[in-house]
Amino acid sequence: MMKSLLPQSQLRRSAAASSAARSSVGGAEGPAAASDSSAGGTKPTSSSTFWFLLHALCCLISLFLGFRFSRLLFFLLFSSSALYAASNTNNPSSASSASHVVVGRHGIRIRPWPHPDPVEVMRAHRIMDRVQEEQRRWYGVREPRHVLAVTPTYSRAFQALHLTGLLHSLRNVPYPLTWLVVEAGGVTNATAALLARSGLTVVHVPFPDRMPLDWAERHATENRMRLHALRVIRERKMDGVVVFADDSNVHSMELFDEAQKVQWMAAVSVGILAHTGAAEQPRLTEDDRKSMPLPVQGPACNASGQLAGWHTFNTLPFSGKTAAVVGEAAPVLPRGLEWAGFIINSRMLWKEAEGKPEWVKDLDAVGENGEEIENPLTLLNDASFVEPLGNCGKKILLWWLRVEARADSKFPAGWVIEPPLEVVIPAKRTPWPETTTEVSSEQLEGKQEQEDRRLSRTN
Amino acid sequence: MEKPRVALALAAALALLLSCSDVVVRAQDTERIEGSAGDVLEDDPVGRLKVYIYELPTKYNKKMVAKDSRCLSHMFAAEIFMHRFLLSSATRTMNPEEADWFYTPVYTTCDLTPWGHPLPFKSPRIMRSAVQFISSHWPYWNRTEGADHFFVVPHDFGACFHYQEEKAIERGILPLLRRATLVQTFGQKDHVCLKEGSINIPPYAPPQKMKTHLVPPETPRSIFVYFRGLFYDTANDPEGGYYARGARASVWENFKNNPLFDISTDHPPTYYEDMQRAIFCLCPLGWAPWSPRLVEAVVFGCIPVIIADDIVLPFADAIPWDEIGVFIAEDDVPKLDTILTSIPMEVILRKQRLLANPSMKQAMLFPQPAQPGDAFHQILNGLARKLPHDKGVYLTPGQKALNWTQGPKGDLKPW
Amino acid sequence: MGTGAATPERVPKQRRGGYLWKKALLHFSLCFVMGFFTGFAPSSSSSWRSGGGGGGDPVPPHRVGDQLAASRVALNGNQRINLAPPSPDGAGGGGATVDVDDDGNDETGPRRMLIVVTTTRSGAGERRRRRPELLRLAHTLRLVRPPVVWVVVEPAADAPATAEVLRGTGVMYRHLAFRPEENFTTAAAEAHAQRNAALAHVEKHRLSGVVHFADAAGVYDARFFDEIRQIEAFGTWPVATMSAGEKKVVVEGPLCTASKVVGWFSRNFNDGTTRSVTYNAEVDLNPAGAAGTRAHTIDVSGFAFNSSILWDPERWGRPTSLPDTSQDSIKFVQEVVLEDRTKLKGIPSDCSQIMVWQYTMPSPASHKTSAPKTHHRR
Repeated sequence: MMKSLLPQSQLRRSAAASSAARSSVGGAEGPAAASDSSAGGTKPTSSSTFWFLLHALCCLISLFLGFRFSRLLFFLLFSSSALYAASNTNNPSSASSASHVVVGRHGIRIRPWPHPDPVEVMRAHRIMDRVQEEQRRWYGVREPRHVLAVTPTYSRAFQALHLTGLLHSLRNVPYPLTWLVVEAGGVTNATAALLARSGLTVVHVPFPDRMPLDWAERHATENRMRLHALRVIRERKMDGVVVFADDSNVHSMELFDEAQKVQWMAAVSVGILAHTGAAEQPRLTEDDRKSMPLPVQGPACNASGQLAGWHTFNTLPFSGKTAAVVGEAAPVLPRGLEWAGFIINSRMLWKEAEGKPEWVKDLDAVGENGEEIENPLTLLNDASFVEPLGNCGKKILLWWLRVEARADSKFPAGWVIEPPLEVVIPAKRTPWPETTTEVSSEQLEGKQEQEDRRLSRTN
Repeated sequence: MEKPRVALALAAALALLLSCSDVVVRAQDTERIEGSAGDVLEDDPVGRLKVYIYELPTKYNKKMVAKDSRCLSHMFAAEIFMHRFLLSSATRTMNPEEADWFYTPVYTTCDLTPWGHPLPFKSPRIMRSAVQFISSHWPYWNRTEGADHFFVVPHDFGACFHYQEEKAIERGILPLLRRATLVQTFGQKDHVCLKEGSINIPPYAPPQKMKTHLVPPETPRSIFVYFRGLFYDTANDPEGGYYARGARASVWENFKNNPLFDISTDHPPTYYEDMQRAIFCLCPLGWAPWSPRLVEAVVFGCIPVIIADDIVLPFADAIPWDEIGVFIAEDDVPKLDTILTSIPMEVILRKQRLLANPSMKQAMLFPQPAQPGDAFHQILNGLARKLPHDKGVYLTPGQKALNWTQGPKGDLKPW
Repeated sequence: MGTGAATPERVPKQRRGGYLWKKALLHFSLCFVMGFFTGFAPSSSSSWRSGGGGGGDPVPPHRVGDQLAASRVALNGNQRINLAPPSPDGAGGGGATVDVDDDGNDETGPRRMLIVVTTTRSGAGERRRRRPELLRLAHTLRLVRPPVVWVVVEPAADAPATAEVLRGTGVMYRHLAFRPEENFTTAAAEAHAQRNAALAHVEKHRLSGVVHFADAAGVYDARFFDEIRQIEAFGTWPVATMSAGEKKVVVEGPLCTASKVVGWFSRNFNDGTTRSVTYNAEVDLNPAGAAGTRAHTIDVSGFAFNSSILWDPERWGRPTSLPDTSQDSIKFVQEVVLEDRTKLKGIPSDCSQIMVWQYTMPSPASHKTSAPKTHHRR
């Protein structure tokens, strides 16, 4: 089995190319002859024609030779190292006698140049971006409504974690969006800096009260903060759909797609991821827990797709869903419907809006005396008009994932750490080698200086 | 005097050499129809042709399926579904005298190995036996010796009836079928196994299963190039280089390290879904030039990247393959990334718009029951476009065109 | 033959003949040079074959169209592209800077690829949180400038449901179904095996880029990913870990001087304890004695590395066949990161800005109290 320098495909190609040259010579004869006859009035000797044709032929041959030579050079230079030629071991003559299809072994063409080519990678990504943009144009809503995301927040250990997560989600929303962030205890620089980096249109609203320590009071405070944001919307006559995006929640992009459909007030299903560590009862076996459905808060529909009640998260751990009837008789509203599960049309909050239904209360009549607004249903006279979204509540569009540290947890300001060298105390649990001796800050600084000197020497 | 002539000749030669591609491209542009191909694809064959179905003993068809129901799900199942479709088709005629086409319902690929792979070893004898049967029971075969008959022969190399290309070429098309119209999946230009005038059909892909895996069309396409399948067929081709003429191996060797190329041999359960989030789907040749990926790509709106030199694509006279697909010469596989990333944006978007056309997807499928515009109807449209038959197809009494004793000895044995 | 045609009385013509020969030779050589340079022109080989392959046979136009589609596409595209392979000196350095002139951004060079690996845990609580957590991470990754490839490893049984979530995100991901041969007793062992599965994928495909293991429960500052892109070999940074329902915020990470890692620290912000260890400069100059001053292990959330260490260890001055690379790549990487600290880059430059947050849930064993929906400490 000999290894030829030229790959087999290359050989085939050169044969094909020579036939190309042949046919093009034939083609060249036409115009040449034509020009000959037109100029032939003076001396149409056959020998000069012959010489001319020979000349043209030789010219073409040398042209072609040059072409092949450079191609050959090309392959010898760049390909021969990596392009391994699988020599054709079997005789193709029998196979190709009746067909030009080459049956048999072919070379596996491996290119020698490096890849992926970074420029092409970027180009491919632009293609993908463009295609996705086009998909949104084809299948998305024609005239997108403005999204008003209302977020109560306050400075705490988990704030940076939660708010960063939410910020990233909101940046992915493919609709115009304004983010109303209400901060308890006034506007802080750390929050403002975070919001400023987001590149989103942000309305950062201070809320005078500090966030209380007790959880139930926190809940009430957050409700008042949301109401505060709604009043801002009313005052500024902001137009759009209001989404209650708590910083600890996780939102799917479908939520924002569904929000585009809201007429006045809609409800969506919220997956409740309550304290998965401790809340799960020790008496539950692992199998029980695995088979349990995710607790869901959201609208329940009847067969005809009308709102029939609510799935609520029962405080009895994971005992499941209960549907309570909403109706003219006696609305049995469950406790603890989260605001996050509602989307409202901001015009509902305006003093005057075209077609504003009469079953909507005026915002000024709500929560004036400091009573708690448990959920947006309080804004309505009749909760049965709420529109169930997300395939009639069957689809979970966001998750309630509240994890917080103890309220008095300390954390570094702005999450920038000073050189951590002030106090050095041996820890109980240690990922560190036992041989390590604790170094005092002075020693450490000395070491560092030493290190710096060494670095500067080597540099 | 000599100089300008030389220059002229040179210029002509050069122009010819360098711009031949431009010339061809221009010619090709004017030839193709603009926009949707729906005009031909939506034709209704009813009223344009009449098909007579021969009544054969059930051993040629029904009994075979009864023996092995897997025949209904492999990629050559079109031969069975075509029969079922024709039985209830409005184009069917019970009067052979008024028929334009004669159909012989014989399932030649319904002979499977224990692993479910169709083996065509008995096919020539089955086919021969069926032809003998119709020629002795009706006068119509002898009238034309098959020129107004069509046969569905969906196996790898069509009526050559062998799965190895070399052997298939050696055998050639079964002599008895050399005047008939063949309906087949195999399509390779200038190949002894592809008869001029054959109707190329897509391989059978389960339409119901594909429907259940549909995802919303707005699902963002986040894979640049997708492929799942073999790169080397080590069992049948330990040396490499025979399988797929080395093209698939070349895809792997050149692009396995490219994050834009989501290529692997693992077949994930989300295969169909993943195709719907890919922009380009590779459809390289395997042992034969076509692959079921072509059908999947079209149905799932993924631009098919066809790597198979001189392939003849299904319903090429009705589907504008140039407009919806990308063709890569086997030798150009190492340049795949460069070629794909340099396709102009508008061209890609246009291909996707065309692929979103439901008539294109419909033409690729054999749904049960049949639907307007599906592959069954395209076959009939193709047959209708061949009408009327050339007068030359009718033989004078006593004239013989076929040699019944031609072919390998083994094929002549009775079945 | 040519000379034979010349008659004696046309002697001057013969001189002219010689001149003609020269002219002819000149033409030939000109043509040769022309052909030579034509050979370098970016012509696709397929166009040659389709043009002449028929050998004069009339070629149906649509067939040539089929053949030419590829080359036509290439030619119609960006005119700057040369289909010919680039010069071999570009082949040497994988990180050769190519000017992305048509890039809409002000970016001047190509960006290194990021390979973000996310493993999943199969505890009941984690499974429930998986969808939202993956979604949140996907939203972050969607904002990271390409190229990014996200490798999600998941037990095969759960994969179809998660695939639906991932599909909608638009992130370029690879979803690896994980089929372990053994049953894992601890979550750590499972995570370890999943990480190895992801690294096996990177190794098999020889994906080249910066690998980072991003826990779905973690939250990242979007700038973080641009920072780790700068990593040549290995990089490390401080990570904040908070505990749900507890008073505990711990930051662990490298001590840095101008991106150089000079030691490690761990600080609890609530009890005020800090532990730190620095490399001893003298001992460290002698590699043999350096072992004692190293931290034993480094958490996967705190480092990233160049993937070529997996499939091209020789480039990193390591033996090609390490017995443990095939089975336990992640352990190998963790060791290498700590050993080769000269190649370790602190991120960001002085390692002071925290860009990665994680949280831990209290373990069920330590909290027997049943917590209602408002599970927070009252």
